[in-house]
Formats: sequence, C-alpha cells, structure tokens
Amino acid sequence: MAETRPVDVHPPYLYPDYKSTRLRAPAQPLVRVAPSPLETAGPVFPKRFVGESEADLTTWGTSAPLGENPHPVDDHDAPLDPNFLGKGQVLTDDEGRYRVVTVKPGAYPWQNHPFGWRPAHIHFSLFGNAYAQRLITQMFFPGDPLLAIDPIFQSVPEAGRKLLIADLDLEQGIEGVALGYRWDLVVRGPRATPMGV
Amino acid sequence: MPKPTPSQTVGPFFARDLLWKDGGIVLFPGRGDRMTLTGCVFDGNGAPIYDALFETWQADPTGRFPSGHDGARPYGYGRVSTDTDGRYAIETVKPGSFTGPGGATYSPQISVAIFARGLLKALHTRVFLAPIDLIKDDPLARAIGDLERLRTLVATPDPDDPKIYRWDVRLRGAGEAVFIEF
Ligand SMILES: [Fe+3]
Repeated sequence: MAETRPVDVHPPYLYPDYKSTRLRAPAQPLVRVAPSPLETAGPVFPKRFVGESEADLTTWGTSAPLGENPHPVDDHDAPLDPNFLGKGQVLTDDEGRYRVVTVKPGAYPWQNHPFGWRPAHIHFSLFGNAYAQRLITQMFFPGDPLLAIDPIFQSVPEAGRKLLIADLDLEQGIEGVALGYRWDLVVRGPRATPMGV
Repeated sequence: MPKPTPSQTVGPFFARDLLWKDGGIVLFPGRGDRMTLTGCVFDGNGAPIYDALFETWQADPTGRFPSGHDGARPYGYGRVSTDTDGRYAIETVKPGSFTGPGGATYSPQISVAIFARGLLKALHTRVFLAPIDLIKDDPLARAIGDLERLRTLVATPDPDDPKIYRWDVRLRGAGEAVFIEF
C-alpha cells in the first residue's frame, strides 16, 4: 500500500519576502528523530476553568480599530483602547471547544517593506495533550484584501492558507453586541506517527 | 484526516502576554540539585537575537516526566525571553537519563523550542548535559552522526561553577545548531 503522507501545510523556515527569516532560518536540513518520551509525555496544565481540558490556549493581538498592540515594544503611535487588555487565556472544554470575546483587531503598519501593513490577525498560542502538539499561529479574517500581499500569511503553502482564516458565524456571537467568528484548530495526535518517518 | 493548522510566527510582541512569572525557574515536586542552563541566541550574522521566546521541557532527576502542575504551570516546563544581549537563563534541576520506545536509553538532555520574529515555525532541538564522549549512543546523537554537528548541542559546565551549563545557539551559518523534527 502506498505510504500516505499528510500534506505539509506549514510554512518553510526561509521565506525571503518576510525579511526577518533571512538571518534566522537554519541553512541545514532538520534531523528527523523518532518520538521519545520528551515528545509524547505532558506537559499537563492546571484545569482552572473547566472540568476536562484538552488544550491551554492563549490569544493576544491588536486593539480595534486602530491597530495598536498594547505592548511596550510597540512604538506605533496610534492611541490605545483603554478598555482592551490585549490578552485572553482559556481552556477548551471536554469537547475541545473554546470561546474568546474580544474586539476585532485592525491592520497595523510594519517595517518589512515600504508601505507595509499586516492584515488584521489574532495570535494564538496553544498547548495540547503532549509536547508534540505545541503550536503558535495567527488567525485571520475573511475577505481581508491585505492577505494577498502579506508575506507572513503567504508563506503558508496554498493548501494551508484557508485553514488560517476564520468563518463568519453570526450565531457564535453575542446578540446585538458582537459579531461571531468560528475558527477550528487541528493539532497532531499525541502519539501520531511522525510525518515521513 | 483533517489537515493540521499551519504555524505562524510568534512575532515581536509576545512579551507582555506570553511570559510567565518566574518562567525561568523550572518546577518539580520535591527538590533536586539545582543547575542553570544559560547562553545566547545568535542569528546568521552572529548578532544576538533579543526577541526570542525560549521554552524548555525535560525529565526530572530520576528520568520521569511527572504529570501535574504547581497550580499555574506544568512541571518540567520553562519559558523565558532572551534579553538585549540575546541571553536566556533557565534555573532547573539536572534531568536524569530516561528510556524510550524499544528500550533505547536517552542521555540527560533538555528539549528546547525557540520562537521568534522571523521564525515561521518553532525551531526544536535538545541540549545535552553530559560530555560528548558519554552521549554517543544516545538516539539523537546517532541520528546526527557527525561529531562536529553534535558538538553544537553539548552544553559545557562553567569552569568556576559546575552548576552552570553554558550553551549558545546559532540559528544559521557557521556553527549552526542542529535542529530536529519529530
Ligand atoms: Fe501581530
């Protein structure tokens, strides 16, 4: 039977249009290792908010609609929204669901290229049930014209890009208060056969 | 099978939201011999990387991975950012050797993940806390093979203080560390 390899949806390390990769991407190929207990054991997070947690998930991002990161390193001088903390932390429930109520972020300028602006995005940091499931990524919004010219989003192979864009799902929102978006994340199984080994 | 969610860079603005209080002190139930793993992270020009998120994960001194947490953080996990000199420091206990699938013996080592602006996905590796002559049968050492490359993953005890292990990481170019996938 032919070996079925999952499509690699992850970006490469070196993506020259995203200039910061040029001096930080390793030049040597990665060394493949069989998973050891380091990859298949924990870490185990406290279950602070719900009975059975699958994942510990942290979001951070920019405030709406001005695109300012509430962070001391950010020197973009758009005014901060005083009602916005910029961070949320949540545990998924026993069906793997999470819910974050926030403000829709704005685009913000960056120095990668002249007149560059990042599309609106929310950063996600995720721990699953095993170390091999550690993931940091970004969620984007449907219909954003900046996606087509954002080197960070475009670094993802074509087959993976739509997986980073949330779906408008109004019934997930709060009636009369907040738009709803749905975004599912998929991480590797804790004891999955490593890709390609 | 659903496709996994693609990775994206942590970006430069994680410090306020991702760093843990005392994240550089790795916790285990009970005590053990404290040691510190410290060094600098450099880019392909040899310049310090001052905005990296540096995470560690390891066995306890007996080679086990105790599940659980101290109420806020999982046992065995460390998380710091590098400073303006590219320096990180993790205060921990020396991990024991442990056994993996098929009975393979793993030398004392700490798993390291580096996230940063310019890293579209995490760089994973492991740092060894034993001299190179004592780790040659380790499964990772065997997978690397080349001794010069393996040397990039060996921390060296400070001559003045054997509890301090020094390990510098070069992401690209001369002396580039070995990075792994699993
Ligand atoms: Fe951002």
